[in-house]
Amino acid sequence: MAVAPISNPGTTAGSGAFPSLVLVQGSDQRSLPLIHSPFTVGRKVDKDLVIADPRVSRDHAQIVHEAGVYWIIDQGSKHGTFVNGEKIERHKLDRNDLLEFGARGGTYVIFNPLHAGSNTAREFLSQISGLNISTDTTDLEKLTMFLEAARKLNTTGVLDEILVTLVETTLKLTRAERGYVFLKAEDGSLHLAAGCNSKGERLTNDQTFSNSILQDALHSASEFLVTDTSQSLDLAGRHSIVAYDLRTVICIPLRKYAVQTIRTKQEPSEPANAGSEIIGALYVDSRFASRDISSVSHDILKAIAVEAAQLIENARLVQAEEEARRYQQELSIASSIQQRLMEIHIPEVPFARMSGRNMSCKEIGGDFFDATSTTDHFAVVVADVCGKGVSAALLASTLQGMVYSHLVAQMPLADIVAAVNRFFTQKHLGEKYATVVIARISRTGELEYVNCGHVPPLLVSQHHVSRPQLGNLPVGLLPDATYEAGKLQLKPGDRFIIVTDGVTEAENARGDFYDNERLEDVAGKSSGMEEIFTSVSNFCGGTPLNDDCTVVELVYTG
Amino acid sequence: MNLKMDTKAVNGVSVVHCSGRIVFGDEAAFLRTKLKEILSTSKKIVLDLSEVTYIDSGGLGTLVGCYSTARSSGADIKLAGLGQRVRDVLQITKLVTVFEVYDSEQKALAAFH
Repeated sequence: MAVAPISNPGTTAGSGAFPSLVLVQGSDQRSLPLIHSPFTVGRKVDKDLVIADPRVSRDHAQIVHEAGVYWIIDQGSKHGTFVNGEKIERHKLDRNDLLEFGARGGTYVIFNPLHAGSNTAREFLSQISGLNISTDTTDLEKLTMFLEAARKLNTTGVLDEILVTLVETTLKLTRAERGYVFLKAEDGSLHLAAGCNSKGERLTNDQTFSNSILQDALHSASEFLVTDTSQSLDLAGRHSIVAYDLRTVICIPLRKYAVQTIRTKQEPSEPANAGSEIIGALYVDSRFASRDISSVSHDILKAIAVEAAQLIENARLVQAEEEARRYQQELSIASSIQQRLMEIHIPEVPFARMSGRNMSCKEIGGDFFDATSTTDHFAVVVADVCGKGVSAALLASTLQGMVYSHLVAQMPLADIVAAVNRFFTQKHLGEKYATVVIARISRTGELEYVNCGHVPPLLVSQHHVSRPQLGNLPVGLLPDATYEAGKLQLKPGDRFIIVTDGVTEAENARGDFYDNERLEDVAGKSSGMEEIFTSVSNFCGGTPLNDDCTVVELVYTG
Repeated sequence: MNLKMDTKAVNGVSVVHCSGRIVFGDEAAFLRTKLKEILSTSKKIVLDLSEVTYIDSGGLGTLVGCYSTARSSGADIKLAGLGQRVRDVLQITKLVTVFEVYDSEQKALAAFH
């Protein structure tokens, strides 16, 4: 079947000073405000609502406003006026009442629909429930279609809507007074998921249902349990039945039917329904004062049992899908924030220049570099955060922020890493740490550096390569670690190159590492860090990187 | 899973022989669980890493984590027989200054007595 899209449900009904009628004709719907009383309905063209259908009488019905209450009054029509399927002469209107004139199952009107932003699903449902899909389609099958459509529309909070609608539908089918859906939590306990009465009012936290019958139903192997308390003396003593005057209780266990039941040797023989897991229960009841519902057709109850379980299962899947989608969305937002944080703007200073590049082997990598400058200094940070993915990215952002603020405050490098180490170890991040190199060059060419767990940096001076060996523990591993910074005097043209271990550990197809020798060789011969990257990728051939590679080069220009 | 661990008791010291790779994921988790289990009964441990071919940053974090836990509970872990790879990593990260490292299992055992 084709479900017509809802045209902006936010403007269709229910908002404004006057109640409204929503007229639904096939896939069209329009809203009519009840601005005067009486509001007339009929086939004649002078009516407020004209329905051009031969089954509708010329003067069919009126909606009258009396002391804050709206009434629908049949005007002696030939084929009758119906409210919620019942033929009426004069009837007080409640919100969401479904009115039909002359013919059932065609055009209908909803009186003053409840409306909220989240109600699009309900409205949508009321639309499709008015469609003549097929004479064999049950209300529950329609619900399933609705669910499918809701999934396509990415409707949120589907499960709640479905449950309430399911209860309402069940109430209509059984003509019971109150209905509840209970769902099983992970710990096996049942909790009330939705409830409403035949007037469409939501019931929450109501303790007046029969819990003992609910438990009986869950432990019975039958598809449903109809309990007529007037026929069954032993039930009459049960607390809730006496206290709340319950007449008939129908309880339908909702079972998830496994397509194929896998029987293991530990469970050699099982009762009939043991292969199907109980996911909850549908419960409806009526009181003595109300009508008798014990004669509801068993076929209807069977159909409800099967379709309701299916429906809830589907709704849960939709819910899970929606949550996964949102989670993905959050993750991609996080990823883009991370990328923006990590975006580097290299400051320009007259005495030095910097270039750097990072090749990530995963969406969110553990390597990053950053640069800052003060009047007389230019500083660069290269860090490799342990691990990959979101946790590494979080740590990287924190580290970056801390180092940045300390650098701007012109703190000694050893103090900066000590502060970061203290922060990380105090937070007990659990085996999460980072290797960091910070290098800071002054206008006069004095370079201060601190290396915390990185491969030693390279100092290239007129094609001569040296490796300043002073190193420290990584940050975030040991609370009592101490750090020491080194100092070097650079001459104009000297280059200070920092690489992460992803470079020295880049592997080729034979499993050889790129290693320090090749790195030093190309660093001495080359004139820039791009050549180092080219050399690494030539070495690896087609072998993919298994760690991020970062190369940063700081040149003292004098 | 690329890590195997065998434990034996020598004069009141638990000697844990590791072979394979200590990397982030199952291997690191296995190392953590196993050492925790041993630490519940033994205060003296020699971790023989002579057949460990590779340790990554995650594995290193786990190793240090176990070491810290052991020290704070009054236990001691000594490392023995580091291969070139593991030695390099401990050298670069200066963790050789944190761990007690011995050339062989025998030397590590001797250090306990």
